[in-house]
Amino acid sequence: MLRLIYTVMLGLVGAVVVHIAVLLLVPAYSAHDAWARLSERASAFQVTKIAEAGGNDAFSKGADPLFASIACRFALGTGIAHFVAGGDVPFWSVSVYDRRGQNIYSFNDRTATDRKLDLVIATPVQMVELRKELPDEYAASIFVETEEREGIVVARAFVPDESWSGIVEAFLESAECRQE
Amino acid sequence: MLRTIVLTALFLAMSLGGGIASVWYALNTNRSFGAISYGVWVAYPDAGTPDADPYSTARRARDAELSLGQAEGLPFYAKTDSDGRTLLGRCNYRLDGSVPAARFWTLHVADLALNPIEAPPLRNTALHSRQLLRAADNAFTIRIGPDAAPGNWISVSSPASVVFVLTLYDTPIATTVTAERGDFPVIVRTGCRDA
Repeated sequence: MLRLIYTVMLGLVGAVVVHIAVLLLVPAYSAHDAWARLSERASAFQVTKIAEAGGNDAFSKGADPLFASIACRFALGTGIAHFVAGGDVPFWSVSVYDRRGQNIYSFNDRTATDRKLDLVIATPVQMVELRKELPDEYAASIFVETEEREGIVVARAFVPDESWSGIVEAFLESAECRQE
Repeated sequence: MLRTIVLTALFLAMSLGGGIASVWYALNTNRSFGAISYGVWVAYPDAGTPDADPYSTARRARDAELSLGQAEGLPFYAKTDSDGRTLLGRCNYRLDGSVPAARFWTLHVADLALNPIEAPPLRNTALHSRQLLRAADNAFTIRIGPDAAPGNWISVSSPASVVFVLTLYDTPIATTVTAERGDFPVIVRTGCRDA
């Protein structure tokens, strides 16, 4: 009897250990995380639409039906990532996610120069090189420095009503995601 | 000998089964640490950031979510009306009051999995602050439900429970400022269609 109680208590302790281990391993071993699902849709540095106004957004629970958004996977192994888009839309915002889909940086059109979306993502080492002699084309860019070697950029734009959808569409279609 | 085998099997079943089942259960219940709530409106400002708790990190990885950043916006969810009754898709609701400081905000209705419920054609699925009809004192009333209403109305017809999602964009609430309960709209049930 005593051994049974002992085993049950040990089993409970084991359950706690397994619970913690599984919980911490889920993000690392999830085969269907945002990165994997984006990889199925588009290759790296290729802009892909992830949500249309009025439709469901597969990458954001509780996503706003009044927003349209695009995403681009980037890798910083051989160069910096440059993400640009232009157009006069009521509101846009950008988030940079790491490989596991955690939001590491975000900003909106009020942060940007002339409300133009111009984002440069670089590792600290690349940033040092870049700062030595800043090319003119990056003069108005927002710089994001990250230790991550891979990540995802998402741009979201507000579609107040259907009359705006063409303008917002043009803004999102103007987006370019480049390795430089 | 047999007793050792049985006890070992019991131990393994308890720890593996219990551990895995409890993670599964915890990830399927939508509770999360780090929630802030104002009345019935609840938000998770840390969700999707490196500061998030391990449960929401695991849930987000499993659901392939890319959540809104702090400079973008912050969604608030309401699952009950201000009397504590679950929100139903076949009932009519009235939202009164104000919304905290933000550049603009949007309101839409979602199912329990938080997928937006689309309105019938030519009706509003969502409303935003720049299209609202307001009273002279800047106050507003929004009606949500299956029965058509004058003024601000979101058409919803669903047999199931629903969630109201109020998203504030470019708001200081995501980072520094705290709001008060009275800054958020009150949800009043005004009647239900028969099930």
